[in-house]
Amino acid sequence: MKRILKTNEFYITIVLVLLIFYIGSQNSTFFSINNWFDLIRSGIVPGIFVIGTLLVLISGGIDVSFPAIAAFSMYTTTSIITSLDFDVPVIFAFVIGALIGLFLGFINSIFIAFLKLPTLIVTLGTASIYSGFLLTFIDDGQITRLPEAMTNLSKTRIFEITTDYGTIGIPVVFLITVAIAVLGWFLLKYTMIGRSIYALGGDEVSAERMGISSVKIKVFVYCFVGTLAGIAGVIHTIMTRNSNASDLLGGELLIIAAVVLGGARITGGHGTIYGSLIALLLILIIQNSLILLGIPSYWQRFVIGALILIGTGLSAIQVKRSLEKRNPIMTE
Amino acid sequence: MRKNKLFLVGLLMLIMSVVLLGCNSDASGNSDDGNSNGGSDDGKYKIATVVKLSGVAWFDRMEEGVDKFGEDTGHETFQQGPQQADAAQQVQIIEDLIAQQVDAITVVPFSAEALEPVLKKARDAGIVVISHEADGMENVDFNIEAFNNSDYGKFLMDNLAAAMGEEGEYMTTVGSLTSNSHMEWVQSAHQHQLDNYPNMTAVVTEVETGDDLNTASEKFRETLKAHPDLKGFQGSASTDAPGAALAIEELGLEGQISVVGTSVPSVSGQYIENGSINAITFWDPADAAYAMNTLAVMILDGKKDEIQTGLDLGIKGYDSLTVKDGKYIYGNAYVKVDKDNLDEYNF
Repeated sequence: MKRILKTNEFYITIVLVLLIFYIGSQNSTFFSINNWFDLIRSGIVPGIFVIGTLLVLISGGIDVSFPAIAAFSMYTTTSIITSLDFDVPVIFAFVIGALIGLFLGFINSIFIAFLKLPTLIVTLGTASIYSGFLLTFIDDGQITRLPEAMTNLSKTRIFEITTDYGTIGIPVVFLITVAIAVLGWFLLKYTMIGRSIYALGGDEVSAERMGISSVKIKVFVYCFVGTLAGIAGVIHTIMTRNSNASDLLGGELLIIAAVVLGGARITGGHGTIYGSLIALLLILIIQNSLILLGIPSYWQRFVIGALILIGTGLSAIQVKRSLEKRNPIMTE
Repeated sequence: MRKNKLFLVGLLMLIMSVVLLGCNSDASGNSDDGNSNGGSDDGKYKIATVVKLSGVAWFDRMEEGVDKFGEDTGHETFQQGPQQADAAQQVQIIEDLIAQQVDAITVVPFSAEALEPVLKKARDAGIVVISHEADGMENVDFNIEAFNNSDYGKFLMDNLAAAMGEEGEYMTTVGSLTSNSHMEWVQSAHQHQLDNYPNMTAVVTEVETGDDLNTASEKFRETLKAHPDLKGFQGSASTDAPGAALAIEELGLEGQISVVGTSVPSVSGQYIENGSINAITFWDPADAAYAMNTLAVMILDGKKDEIQTGLDLGIKGYDSLTVKDGKYIYGNAYVKVDKDNLDEYNF
């Protein structure tokens, strides 16, 4: 019980519940099934990003290049499939997207794992290279007519219901996000690699003395994140029925803020899938309820900014506290 | 281990050199033009166009106008823009252009306020500055608008009102709250509605979409939940109307909610065809770029005095300009596209 009280996840959950009841009391539409379906819908792509970012933060690094990787693989994949003369099954799009993401993630890991450069600097650099490369060398337009297989998938929904507001449903690609979240949870909790990621983020030197290869783990983490970003990019393009080379860029801060808000520490070694997803839900609810609450658009920017500041600030204080606690042990 | 590292360094050098080679071939293309034209001595100028965002259909079309002007006149013209909608990156690009000593900068500011200082610096360095979509901007030689923003706002509202049967609730969106032109359209449209269409009500105004289709779609869905009787949508950024239309199509509400907005046929075409967008309006960005470049050359040639009300730039919609306060120029170049004339535009 005491352990639960100490976790970020616990407080985030309480804040979330309070928020839900507050917004619901202001506008009962918030509790409608439409609203929850819409929330799930807007969480599909960020949800995948959050899982990837969580792994990186736990391993003690930070990755700001995933939106660029996602944009790169989404646009390249769509171009490749559009340029083919014959129809291909939609799974093909995901495979190409994932492979491109894997490759770009691997480039990140060359700098990070082998050359041991700081992760923020590497990924800031590669993010700029990936999107710059995309916009100059490949194409800088947008593909507004997707291949048929992709359009069809975007129209496929589960739990379709007809309400007063029209026909609503959850896009079938939501299942991919669920699968990735389960995979991430299993990986972190029950596999050797997952436990090694925690160990590495907790203390790299100790982890290596235990026989964990930091190079292997880092290569795995950045390749995994790249692959996830590639898949997320393809999903984004399917959901918006439009492949825009400059979409998604700039979204990294909100994702990192969500993961940190959910209890992962910038310094590594801590964080859970549950906490990150709950915090993402919190951010999505705030973002998607400002109109319901009747807040004018000027204030919306202010509210979202304040949220990020408070969330990351709380976590920073926590880290400081835990470091203070650690000091005496190290001197003994 | 060491061998491994050497191999990696080699690999990296290879990647870098490929990238640099690519850049070189690009740059040399430009400098060839520059050399053959020989700078400004023989009356050929180097003119840069800076846009809000590269990679969107709107500014790709603008680049066509920039390139066409270069081909028609022999001046060295090129277009640059940030990869993200970000005022700071636009400032950075202009700083670089000042360092390159271009003769003129034509710019579509993301945020007018953020660009004033750097444009002042450019003008102090003797560079001619023409802006577009930034009415009221201080540190420019001229700002040119395809039309008077308040007239365009009324034009948008007339189209929305016609689609909605002049009654019901509607919402408006802007790409960014700091985008002057978007704000003027929306505010003028609202005023026009209050004056002329008493049975219409604006329930949510100036929703910010960040020039992002997905955000526009989500904001529309949310507004529809807060105001279930919503009957109209007026968008400002080129992705706003298709964002709303995507949601309408998914909800199966085609025909029940009217959508109009500024957009381009390539992005909105599929939704105009299936009826989820009633009409889009725009001005041709290629013509606007051509007009900006024409003005820049006139000033560089010392013909600034000729830029007065009634001037004909020889471009459709810019054949009888209005000049206000000796600095702010307006054309009358707006276009409406619906199901009937969709096939006339290819961008």
